[in-house]
Amino acid sequence: MRYLLSACIVGIGVLASTSGLTAPSDVIDGPLIRPEVSSSDPRDLSGVWYIRLYNPQINSTLGRLPPFTARGKAEWDARVKAEKDGSPMADASSYCLPHGVPRVMNSPYPIQIIQTHGETVIVHEVAHNIRHIYMDQPHPPTLAPTFMGDSVGHWDGDTLVIDTLGFNDRTWIDEIGVIHGKQMHVIERIRKIEGGHALENLVRIEDPEFFTEPWFARITYAWRPDLRIAEYVCEENNRNMPVSGHTVAR
Amino acid sequence: MSGRVGLSLVCCLLALTAAAAACAQAIYNPPPGQNFEGVWLIQGDHSAVKTIDGRLPPLTREAATRYAAAIRARRAGKPDFDTIQTCKPHGFPRILFAAFPIEVLQEPTQVTFIHEVHHMPRMVYLDLTLPRLDDMDPNWMGLSAGHWDGDTLVVESQGFNDLTTLDAAGLPHSTQMRVGERIRKLDADTLEDIVTITDPKWYTKPWSTRVTYRRQPGLRLKEYACMDSNPEVRR
Repeated sequence: MRYLLSACIVGIGVLASTSGLTAPSDVIDGPLIRPEVSSSDPRDLSGVWYIRLYNPQINSTLGRLPPFTARGKAEWDARVKAEKDGSPMADASSYCLPHGVPRVMNSPYPIQIIQTHGETVIVHEVAHNIRHIYMDQPHPPTLAPTFMGDSVGHWDGDTLVIDTLGFNDRTWIDEIGVIHGKQMHVIERIRKIEGGHALENLVRIEDPEFFTEPWFARITYAWRPDLRIAEYVCEENNRNMPVSGHTVAR
Repeated sequence: MSGRVGLSLVCCLLALTAAAAACAQAIYNPPPGQNFEGVWLIQGDHSAVKTIDGRLPPLTREAATRYAAAIRARRAGKPDFDTIQTCKPHGFPRILFAAFPIEVLQEPTQVTFIHEVHHMPRMVYLDLTLPRLDDMDPNWMGLSAGHWDGDTLVVESQGFNDLTTLDAAGLPHSTQMRVGERIRKLDADTLEDIVTITDPKWYTKPWSTRVTYRRQPGLRLKEYACMDSNPEVRR
């Protein structure tokens, strides 16, 4: 209880200091279908959220590129060069395959969080990605690698902690060229900030093949009580379906 | 600003006065009869949808010709009419008849159906009045509005494109189609959906079909990556 009280006081302080800060995705532009602010229950994350200040490149919280291994740096350089040369390399999402984690959490489209008994589900507008986060249980003992990995969650105070592993190596971490391997381990810490007007996701990424040490990225999302998730069918008209691993403009 | 501070103050007052239990996350508990939560799997083969009494739906003459052509194309191994061949969505209501699990999530104002096939979500909004059909931008899954009639979830959906068929066999539908549903539990482990199709372009009158789903305790939806069947993508 004391924890919650101090969180509230901190919340008021943050509001006072950041009330002038808005991103385009913060702007509510339709009739409200949910309360103007997310509920006062810090563990109720349900509703629609929209990334703020989307950046296709995921920087670490230190404001620079992640701590690449030589391999990670080489893969980054190859992707940046291909893009410059006009023949971008294709990731899974270019083929309308699932975006993967954490990539899907850094997408310029709204997401809807739905919380039920034993599971938290995130419905992503982009390419109808779905995340299933099973609460308060361990990962299965054996995991076949997947695009989205296997996610389990629990509450640490008022922070939802999501632990994800079991990835294939076909998705990227960002849209530019930070990639990962099958050993990647992602831990997200998601909590409400600014009195329920926003959500913070502190993402810890570990993959010894591509990074010399674990690193963090921070993504925030605005509460959007006016939005419903729209239909997004990548497969319908993918103008940039890659050929031989490279995106082709048509 | 004053509104925000007001809310925060309410939050603090709650924290000071509420019992510890009130601080725990409040997850919605649907009334027992209306609780459809869980993972369900369709019963029986609905690849060629029939009316409730097992007959061919009331096709117009033109629709019957089109339907027969679809069946011939499928038999010949070239069902070009079938959007799922190229990983496009099943569309609604065909996705209801697919032999893949469906997970139901419930909130006070929304019932969400997550279809394993194509990881496609369908939201049924309980707080929505459907716009006029002419004002809608047609898409694959349409827009669904629902309400509770006792323990039956009554859903109306419209706003569909005409790129899909109603079933795998090839029953046609137009952009004018409206789909009604009455979804209820027959017992703790059986969900029934009575689906009514109204589409004057292809059917001489509204008609209904019936589908049931069996609860799948402990089953989790698997990842589904249709585009992996594309040879360019496979590796």
